[in-house]
Amino acid sequence: MFRVIMKLAWASLSRRRGRSLLVISMIAVCLWGLLSLEGLYDGMIAQMIQNATRSDSGDISIFAKGYRQNNELAELVDSAALDKFLKNDGRILSFSKRIMQSGLVATAHYARNITIYGIDLTEEQKNGRLNNYIVSGEYSFANRSKGAIIGAELASKLSAKIGSKIIISAQNMVNEVSSSALKITGILKTHTVLDKNAVFIDRQKTRDLLMVPRGITQVLVTLKNRNKDIAVIQGDLAGIDGLEVWRWDEIYPALLQSKQMNEKFNLIISFLVFCVAGLGIFGVMSVSVLERMREFGIMLALGTKFSQIGSIIMLEAFLMAIMGFGTGSVFGGATLYYLKQYGLNLAIFSKGLEAFGMDSVMRAVIRPQYFFLALAAVMLAAFVSALLPLRFLQRAKPVSLIQTI
Amino acid sequence: MAFLDIEHISKTFQNGAYQTQALADINLQISKGEFAVISGPSGSGKTTLLNIIGGLDAPTSGAIILEGEELTGLPENILAARRRDYIGFVFQAYNLLPVLTAAENIEYIMKLQGWGQEKCNLRTLEVAKKLGIANLLDKLPNQMSGGQQQRVAVARAVAAKPKLVLADEPTANLDSKSAASLMAMMRSLNEEEGITIIFSSHDPLVIAQAKLTITIKDGQVDK
Repeated sequence: MFRVIMKLAWASLSRRRGRSLLVISMIAVCLWGLLSLEGLYDGMIAQMIQNATRSDSGDISIFAKGYRQNNELAELVDSAALDKFLKNDGRILSFSKRIMQSGLVATAHYARNITIYGIDLTEEQKNGRLNNYIVSGEYSFANRSKGAIIGAELASKLSAKIGSKIIISAQNMVNEVSSSALKITGILKTHTVLDKNAVFIDRQKTRDLLMVPRGITQVLVTLKNRNKDIAVIQGDLAGIDGLEVWRWDEIYPALLQSKQMNEKFNLIISFLVFCVAGLGIFGVMSVSVLERMREFGIMLALGTKFSQIGSIIMLEAFLMAIMGFGTGSVFGGATLYYLKQYGLNLAIFSKGLEAFGMDSVMRAVIRPQYFFLALAAVMLAAFVSALLPLRFLQRAKPVSLIQTI
Repeated sequence: MAFLDIEHISKTFQNGAYQTQALADINLQISKGEFAVISGPSGSGKTTLLNIIGGLDAPTSGAIILEGEELTGLPENILAARRRDYIGFVFQAYNLLPVLTAAENIEYIMKLQGWGQEKCNLRTLEVAKKLGIANLLDKLPNQMSGGQQQRVAVARAVAAKPKLVLADEPTANLDSKSAASLMAMMRSLNEEEGITIIFSSHDPLVIAQAKLTITIKDGQVDK
């Protein structure tokens, strides 16, 4: 009997080819848009988070207790227990260490407040891939560590370029002002606050400049599986004396909110797809059932159970939904793949995007849950939209259905 | 106890403020294996009576008892099962399922009853041969003439070996030659397979084929 039900459902769809194709196209186009937007928006948020975590906060940032409130140079992390943890914990992918101090940068004509970051180039490359953010010059501190890498916006404010001389000054550990003359070897653009005020110099040079023989201000930790391990590792690290352990979303709560807002946005779009698919299928199914009232009446008269007729109608609705989903997924998946590989170039909006910490080339992400959510939305729409015509049919008597012209 | 007892059947249709009495206190007994016709002019209540016998419509009062089981008042799902298992229908307008082939239409009720494919195939061929439509089994309804479609409808009605076949004006849309041919085949099925057949008609030539004639006039049996 299932073969007959299947045949009746399929035949109904192919009898009304134009109408069926219209609904399938509607679902496909909606899905195409949904998948593309979801992937693009999630990619945008992921990019923003990546920029922040790779360049500034890591997945986890470790400071000395009280540092984030006081910003005192003397509040340094110097813990053997921490070093052991970082080296041995299998959940940690990499880490890098920074010495930080507020200071001043000056050129011949300009001066600006800055934050000096004493880093190890190799550590940063391995951990945060800071090298990827270089837009001009080299990822290098040149010979004898006399180079500096500065943020793009800072360079612009100083009217400085590669090779320009700068003087950096800061208060050292004995509360004296130390200075150093450097040349700009690289300019980076991270789309974070670093672009405005960061000057990266060699960590050992920073130690010499600030008279900090040991200890560091910040440890940036990158995890192998951020989503799974971050809270647990934060708890483990917080157990080590003298440390403050911050997750990236605690340092950048606005980013977390953006992520959460985006998730809600994706749900809203899924709901809209559900409505569009549902209304489209409902329209076609209602007409399809009304056109075949007599046929259904004959089937009921012959002894067909109402549930079997319900199966035919549901199957029709599901077939349309599946075909729409399949088509939409193919186009949506292809679009996502293209956007993931090549991105969407929004260079004409670059200034606005940079204000929000976004790159001008937006790349999409592809996640399986996009397709699962879309499938669920479309199938639910098919089910709900077939219910009303079925209810209408259920109330009618076979004899009155047979007499329908 | 007769094969089919029709006891005090009345049917009144309500249309807004108006009431129409289609049937008034019909009492009939039909024997097993009967080949009976319900005759009468248009509007006399023939179709209404057939619909009530077949459980497609409920009477205002009275009872239909088929082989000792009262059908009136049964819930719709059980009534549908009774129609599936005990009663075959032949409609005036053939009413074949348009997307199924002749063979699939004939098999339809057998499939509803859960017959296996091989058993369905054998019975379909057997009935198709008796009705002279064995060469049409893979055709769709829109590829057949009216007479051919009606024969497929008869085949569908009898294929699952029901106790009773109800045919509402089965020859109304056929030419006289096709009508005569169809009636002969139905008579033959009645005699060979022992299926009780009740049909309605107002055509004297068709009525003449029946063994038992029941005349309805103005909703009552005309004695």
